[in-house]
Amino acid sequence: MGVVQGDQMVLNIGPQHPSTHGVLRLEVTTDGEIVSKITPHLGYLHRCFEKHAENVTYEQVIPFTDRCDYLASMNSNFGYVVAMEELMDIEISERVQYIRVIMAELNRVASHLLALGVYGLDIGAFTPFLYMLRDRERILDMFEYTCGARLLYNYMWIGGVSHDLPKDFVKICVNFLDYFEPQIEEYNNLLTFNKIFIERTADVGVIPAEVAISYGVSGPNLRGSGVKWDVRKDEPYSIYDRFDFDIPTGTGEFGTLGDCFDRYWVRMLEVTQSVRIIRQALKDLPEGDVFETMPKKIRPPAGSVYRRTESPRGDLGYYIVSDGTPSPTRVKMRSPAFTALSCLDEVSSGWMISDVLAILGSLDIVLGEIDR
Amino acid sequence: MSRYLTNIYDTVNTLWTGMQITFRHMMNIRRDNVTLQYPEERWPRPERNIGFNHEDYNVIRSRLHVDIDDCIGCYRCERACPVDCIKIDTIKSERGEDIPKVNHTGVTSNGTKKGFVVSRFTIDMSECCFCNLCTYPCPEECIFMVGGPNSSKHPIDYEFSEVDRKDLIYQFAKKLTPKQKSGLSPIEKKAEA
Repeated sequence: MGVVQGDQMVLNIGPQHPSTHGVLRLEVTTDGEIVSKITPHLGYLHRCFEKHAENVTYEQVIPFTDRCDYLASMNSNFGYVVAMEELMDIEISERVQYIRVIMAELNRVASHLLALGVYGLDIGAFTPFLYMLRDRERILDMFEYTCGARLLYNYMWIGGVSHDLPKDFVKICVNFLDYFEPQIEEYNNLLTFNKIFIERTADVGVIPAEVAISYGVSGPNLRGSGVKWDVRKDEPYSIYDRFDFDIPTGTGEFGTLGDCFDRYWVRMLEVTQSVRIIRQALKDLPEGDVFETMPKKIRPPAGSVYRRTESPRGDLGYYIVSDGTPSPTRVKMRSPAFTALSCLDEVSSGWMISDVLAILGSLDIVLGEIDR
Repeated sequence: MSRYLTNIYDTVNTLWTGMQITFRHMMNIRRDNVTLQYPEERWPRPERNIGFNHEDYNVIRSRLHVDIDDCIGCYRCERACPVDCIKIDTIKSERGEDIPKVNHTGVTSNGTKKGFVVSRFTIDMSECCFCNLCTYPCPEECIFMVGGPNSSKHPIDYEFSEVDRKDLIYQFAKKLTPKQKSGLSPIEKKAEA
């Protein structure tokens, strides 16, 4: 205060800006076109998830977890139910485990498709967005066929899943994967190796590995910086230790390690790995009853649990405290998108305003999860 | 200089690759068409048995529906609802007995004897979060999500849009006039005595 800086200007991006992926306001301090400081303002989408969860029963929390990360609801459900099962110490039937992995990976593909397509849209490529949404639509159709909802599923329940798979689901899913795998090649030709796209993203917004770790960035953003960390491999939950898949990391193919292109490219490679997991899971899918291991009354013993899972955006952790009553004492959600957003200021200072939107898009944040 | 020319070549080359894909899709537009002219054409709704005996109902969650003749007034769906959009009032009655003047049948289609007249059963679909949690605890399987006019019993349309928000509050209980309600209260007293 007091000192007038004539060449500095404060610019507000959002809350209703299409490139902010939700309702996020960025207070950008600029010098000409060069950004010197970014302050993200959150809370426009705050719905009191954690406080609300204290007033409902354990199974009623699950619809609210859907609405946190609304692009990957299955993964949000997955984290919560895995934590609850650890707290209650219940064994889950094999079929449920496989169904959950299939659903979570399908949703990871859907979420990454949206992230990649919208990233192209931010950069200025409109066609790949349409193609990716077209294929995402087919995944949502499969979810709709299974559980009746397209976006907010409430599908995974504590000890089971809400609906068994339809009889012909395996056939439909394999059909989709056969159709989908050649499409990845098409996306790459259309967007990834496009010279204009590479020029916009390579060398832009470099997150060095130590900066990423110190900010707690996780998921594809961390792997884009070359750190090989994936909860599915390093701290296997559910049955992820049974599947054979690789963890793609950034290599700095067209620029520096940890730039926007690496984060984009890691997501693209992860889609292929998810397809691999789904194929293995579909092959081994056992028969059985999905309601078999579901407890009649959900009343976990007094205690607490922290369990993290790999959502499409990174480490999704749930900390649940129970005092033995039917509703939780505390539910804390560790949001991966929040930590990704927190490093935006450090990463993007010194870049131009148009690059800030490229960096923000490459972080793939979901505001529903940040504000909760 | 050579770098400059390589850049130009790369740009034109990759753009051409992208354009080829777009052209290929444009040529195949009749075969690969994914856009539907919405009000005239619609996506096929997945039809599937949801595990209850209602073979005709599919899994689509478009709206909640209640077979009020089967409802025994146990409040389980109301308790299961995470957003409290279901509201039920009941009046106690003679167990299993028909009350013709309020159009009340005493026995459900499953053979359970009803002990209550459901005087109010409202679901505010503007509050509903479509989580499907209320349909599972129901002992008579009378509350369920519906997705369309796939049953002769429930000719319900696919999209449940309304002009007024008040119209989204669905009343499932049979309307009771105050006179009919006061007519029910002696039964209640008799049952208590």
